[in-house]
Amino acid sequence: MSTHELKARLREQARDRLPAPVVDRIRARASLRERVRVLEAEVQENRQLNRRIAELTDVVAELLIPLEARDQDRVDEVLARYRQGL
Amino acid sequence: MTTVVSDDGILLPAASRPFLVEIDGHYVWSLTPERDGVRRAGGVLVPWPGVLRPYLSGRGRVRVTDATGAEVLYDAEVGLGAGEGPLAVVDRAGHRLCVDKVGHLTRSFAATAEEVREEILAGTARAIADLREHAGVKAYLNYGALLGAVREGRMLAHDSDTDLCYLSEHSSPADVIAESYRITRAMRERGWNLLRMSGGDIKLLLPLSDGRLCHIDVFVAFHVGDTFFQLGNRSGPLPRSAIEPFSTIELHGHEFPAPRDPEAMLAFLYGPHWRTPDPSFRYADPPEGVRRLDGWLRGFRTEMGLWTGLFNGPGQREVPAGPSAFARWVAPQLGELPVLDVGTGTGRDALWFARRGVRTGAVDFSRGGLGVVRRKATRRGLDVDAGQLILGELRSTLLHGTRLARDPHHLYARHLVGCLDAAALDQLWLLARMALRPGGGRLFLEFQASHDAPGGATGTPLEPDGLVRRVDPETIRAAIEAAGGVVEHLVVVPGEDMLDRPDPAVCRIRASWPATRTQKENR
Repeated sequence: MSTHELKARLREQARDRLPAPVVDRIRARASLRERVRVLEAEVQENRQLNRRIAELTDVVAELLIPLEARDQDRVDEVLARYRQGL
Repeated sequence: MTTVVSDDGILLPAASRPFLVEIDGHYVWSLTPERDGVRRAGGVLVPWPGVLRPYLSGRGRVRVTDATGAEVLYDAEVGLGAGEGPLAVVDRAGHRLCVDKVGHLTRSFAATAEEVREEILAGTARAIADLREHAGVKAYLNYGALLGAVREGRMLAHDSDTDLCYLSEHSSPADVIAESYRITRAMRERGWNLLRMSGGDIKLLLPLSDGRLCHIDVFVAFHVGDTFFQLGNRSGPLPRSAIEPFSTIELHGHEFPAPRDPEAMLAFLYGPHWRTPDPSFRYADPPEGVRRLDGWLRGFRTEMGLWTGLFNGPGQREVPAGPSAFARWVAPQLGELPVLDVGTGTGRDALWFARRGVRTGAVDFSRGGLGVVRRKATRRGLDVDAGQLILGELRSTLLHGTRLARDPHHLYARHLVGCLDAAALDQLWLLARMALRPGGGRLFLEFQASHDAPGGATGTPLEPDGLVRRVDPETIRAAIEAAGGVVEHLVVVPGEDMLDRPDPAVCRIRASWPATRTQKENR
């Protein structure tokens, strides 16, 4: 029997001897830990949207005006300048 | 006990005070045994920092002293690694290098002449003026330069750059980043060469008369609620009133704006004992603050420094010259369209395509790599259009995509996919979609694939230095298809890694992006 299996069996035996409310509390705490781990990952994903928003805002704010004016020369000029300014 | 210097590191007595390490008579590194080492029989072993390891091959004198230099723990000739030449930590131009407080290799002010120090201070003053007058932000002197000015009335030894901060009016990270982009444009228009380090800090590169570049860091500082954040990685309680309105501080005869309460800022940065010199000081940043700053501002250049270190250091020679087998496989399929080598590295394949008369572009996120490509192209009289593409920096990807939509190319990427995180990979597909749909070019990919034998799991780190990871070919196929591409060819065969060493499972893919109806009509 591997160490992992042995640990699992011992844990099971220990739980069998514990009153049901205690077992439920242990289970709830373990599931809470997992939920916090998932939540932290999701919060971090959301934080990363800040950079995406800033990147898109920057592109749109700098390039939209000459596009709206349908001025191809101006678009080329603005694109070239934007590229140099990154 | 005796101090022992070996390939593993330095074994010295357990102590919680700093020690300095010199190689060949020059300061290279400071360490604190209890903090940096692991307990071993006979003391504490502090391993060499990774950035120093490429230089630790040869014979030379190593000296370990306390912070004052009075107590000498070790002073002897030693042989390290397999090399037989002299031991010295120097860059290609022969400049002495040392490890700074954030673990990077850099030149130190201790080795900087007085007139060069003047250039650094004058350049810093010019940067502050440009930031104020052209970028619209008021910067103050901070970190090492402020500490040196307040504590010693001079620049600190072993410090290698000057640091400026500006206090943003914004409290939303997205606004902070957008402001930083505007600052970048303004400073470039003023003629500054600069690097973006995160969404909130840039490095101005100041050329000095001794041939090196001094880095002037420009960090954002901002409040979110009651928490003060200041790049690098600082966070905690510091009110606006400790910073504004500015005070003035003198450094070697130059006047600089400083936080209103410099001592409060220094205690915030370096803790209550900031008045006591500690060359091996390291920041103890609250992890939750670092996590927030990482999430908000970082992620597009996590491994850029390691790649640049590889391309600028001795490791570059390990990357073979001449075309890869993959390039030879791709070449007959190129037809009339030019090719863009994405993640070109040392440019071995791009240079070969160009030599064959194919119009060739080469992009990489590492400016170190692009420098290598440009130098080689010039030396060989080849025309390779080399530029920076940062997959993971959406503006960079969109701009390249726009340009390629008007000037169709094939995209060629050998051993790139295994270097990218999920966000950068998504942008590779975005680039392919933008670039290939209008002109009918192909995407050619080669990467080390996951397989069932030991060492074959997805994500297994590979050479060089674990910077490449195994990737599951079916995940890549699914991602290409989800982005509107068609996988025309996919094989997994024995092949070579980035250094041309045999690998049992290398995947080759050729994909196309069929044009939309509107694009077909516009052709």
